Amino acid sequence: MKATVTAALALLGTMMAGSAMAQTMSYAQAGQLLAKSCGPDIERFCRNDNLGNGVIFACLVKNQAQVKQQCFTDVGVVQASLAKRIAAQRDAWKVCDADVREFCKGVVPGDANILNCLTEASKVVSPACTAVLTDAGWR
Amino acid sequence: MSRIIRTTLAAALVAGTAFAALAPSAKAQTAISDTQIIQGLSAVTKDEPGITAALLRDLAQKSIDSNPNPPSGQSALAARLNNLAQITVQIQFKLNSAIIEPSSYQALGSIADAIHHPILRGYRFLVVGNTDATGTRAYNLKLSQERADAIVTALTTTFGVLPARLEAVGLGQEALQNPAKPDDPVNRRVQVYNIGHILP
Repeated sequence: MKATVTAALALLGTMMAGSAMAQTMSYAQAGQLLAKSCGPDIERFCRNDNLGNGVIFACLVKNQAQVKQQCFTDVGVVQASLAKRIAAQRDAWKVCDADVREFCKGVVPGDANILNCLTEASKVVSPACTAVLTDAGWR
Repeated sequence: MSRIIRTTLAAALVAGTAFAALAPSAKAQTAISDTQIIQGLSAVTKDEPGITAALLRDLAQKSIDSNPNPPSGQSALAARLNNLAQITVQIQFKLNSAIIEPSSYQALGSIADAIHHPILRGYRFLVVGNTDATGTRAYNLKLSQERADAIVTALTTTFGVLPARLEAVGLGQEALQNPAKPDDPVNRRVQVYNIGHILP
């Protein structure tokens, strides 16, 4: 049991270190922030609306006179951060292309093999590639 | 405390243990990390081309039509699904509704984070909704399909997952997690299954 808890703490530590490094918000963090800042107003004004297709946001805007300003502020923060993360996930392989050719020769793509190679080579990988992987939430 | 992650695979069980050992039970339904989800969904990479959303819907409907009483032990449907890499997530919905509670937005986001990770990038997933045995089987089948649809809509719009990678299935109460206690809340759950590579 003690060994299990120790292993568990190590795993949790790894996970926390991972999230602390990211310069962009994860989808989970985005969901958490929206629930915290906008949840009460969603329950009050949008109780028959579901997340998806911008329906909740439209409802909040419709009721903006009564919705807390912090909610809209945080929606803006979330949108900007997620846009940056999505762009990083889209561009990561292009940005890291030279690093992959230099440090990951012969690595078969798929199942995160390239990412694992770049992570292992993190000391020598270019700053641009490191930054895009960080923004993508992948390191 | 309900078990949040349930899988037959050792790698994923490590993550499940970590969660059970550390999480306060009151928060058991809200927090599951994308790391745990990735482990659960990537543990098996063997494709199961036989399982499709349409087949599962068909099996659930047949289960209702052919047995006047709900299955008592583990259903054939549940047994078949157990072969797939999977994770179980607790998503809170409003009573008798497909509206997702804001408290579960974080859990949805964790699923999205996992699906966007390179290790799962090439795969497709089924999002399967299950109810407990309260209410009629036909109603439960319909409600669980609506709930699974709601999750897929959120994931494919707000959370940016390609629609071709996800399909929603509602199984009602036809694949109970705890058949011995059909009304146990543990039966109300969403499961995500890795069903193999994206088709070319």
